[in-house]
Amino acid sequence: MADQYRIAQPKDYYRQFLEKDVRPDNRGLGEYRATVMNIGCVSTAEGSSLVKIGNTTVMCGIKAEVAEPGVDGKNGYLVPNVELSPLCSANFRPGPPGELAQVLSQNMADLIADSQCVKLENLCVCPGKLVWVLHIDLVCLDYDGNLMDACTLAMMSALKSTSLPVVTVDEESGEIKTDPSSRTLLPVSCCPVSTTLIVFDNKLLLVDPTSEEESLATGAVTVVTEGKNVCSIYKPGGTPLTDKQIRDCIERGFIRGKEARSLIEETLCSVDR
Amino acid sequence: MAGMELLSDQGFRTDGRKPNELRRIRFKKGVFKQADGSAYLEQGNTKVLAAVYGPHEIRGGKGKALHDQLLINCQYSMATFSTQDRKRRPRGDRKSLEMTAHLKQTFNAVILTELYPKVQLDIYVEVLQSDGGNYCASVNAATLALIDAGIPMKDYVIACSGSYIRDTPVVDINNLEESSAGAEIIMAILPRCEQIVFIEMNSRLHEDHLSPVMDQVMTGCKDIFNILNQQVRDELCKKSAQDRIVDSG
Repeated sequence: MADQYRIAQPKDYYRQFLEKDVRPDNRGLGEYRATVMNIGCVSTAEGSSLVKIGNTTVMCGIKAEVAEPGVDGKNGYLVPNVELSPLCSANFRPGPPGELAQVLSQNMADLIADSQCVKLENLCVCPGKLVWVLHIDLVCLDYDGNLMDACTLAMMSALKSTSLPVVTVDEESGEIKTDPSSRTLLPVSCCPVSTTLIVFDNKLLLVDPTSEEESLATGAVTVVTEGKNVCSIYKPGGTPLTDKQIRDCIERGFIRGKEARSLIEETLCSVDR
Repeated sequence: MAGMELLSDQGFRTDGRKPNELRRIRFKKGVFKQADGSAYLEQGNTKVLAAVYGPHEIRGGKGKALHDQLLINCQYSMATFSTQDRKRRPRGDRKSLEMTAHLKQTFNAVILTELYPKVQLDIYVEVLQSDGGNYCASVNAATLALIDAGIPMKDYVIACSGSYIRDTPVVDINNLEESSAGAEIIMAILPRCEQIVFIEMNSRLHEDHLSPVMDQVMTGCKDIFNILNQQVRDELCKKSAQDRIVDSG
């Protein structure tokens, strides 16, 4: 009976729970789902990770290629790409990437640019001749809401585990030599973490929404924090919020940031590379 | 000579296996909540994920519906980071399309399609890491996902590859053995009735050598079947025992 009610009147169903400050999956309003992380799970990639937030699963693989630099001669490239194939949810259709996938890809690119977590100068192999291109491919394997946070976490943990082979360019002949036996870790200066909240019924803020909650939301806010700094706040329309509410969101973001960073550190330590 | 290294004088292959030895198989059914059936399978370093959606209403135009049987829709894709060199396109290239067609044909032959007229079943396969035998791992993973989804089938369909190196038939070949210009035979069989659903061979092989390789691959398929079947049954027994406890208490 409850299941039918949930499908027919999802908003009323949620309201009954939220009145008692709990969500249908037994979480409090500000509570995250269990987050699981595995680093270095794909050996063909230079860096990889798998992140699960509740049922939402995202896999990130980073492949490195060398290319000629642009006009400035020393900046490498980071190319994030989010893929939402029909495998992860019945809502996605086969074909070219949809709007959500493209928006997320752009969000990831902005996140790297805003936080300066990977300095593009560090991707230079030989000034004016050769730079690294890092293709960051994020594949969603199971979609149950809050992709933004899962993608950020997957991307940052994969970047932190990325090691690049040592490449030398012969000055005279221009010959490129790689030494696959010696690898260096990619320098990652900081670790931005995103926290997504949705607005329910124009007033309640729910952290870490499931796909069901996302479909009922009247608005969403994403806060990206790094240490004690706020990297970006992203609120694509929806219910207008007060100053106080935005502050609450930011505060929640800092708490989540601390948790997530210690999770990444713990996982990195437990995986021997 | 490349063939010398692939099988040592002591009879071991590059990864230390004997000619008739399979790579380690690990799998898990029901890994995802969104899909109606899903499975993750590892065959050595080849890692594959399969998800099944359906049977559901036809999507994208009723015209595709078959009036007397189920429409099977497959999509094979390889993650861009799954191979040594980055793949430009995860799907839609000729090789993936060929693979998609092969998977579709294979499963059309084993699923009891006449039970579901005018509806559609989606089988999605994603290769996360590739080390040879992609078709085989995909078929095995998709079979498990179909079992997880509870789709009626004639039998398991199990695929395995084989080759002929230094006058010895070898089974379940890896990427190195696959790319070193020997003959490659891929077979998908129904292990209990010993029928061949799909067979493909590329490169040249003397006809006298064909049947030993086919026999070896057939044995390989049956070995894989035993591994998969054992675990599927164990899980099912455990699950039904649990359900019984819940029902009675």
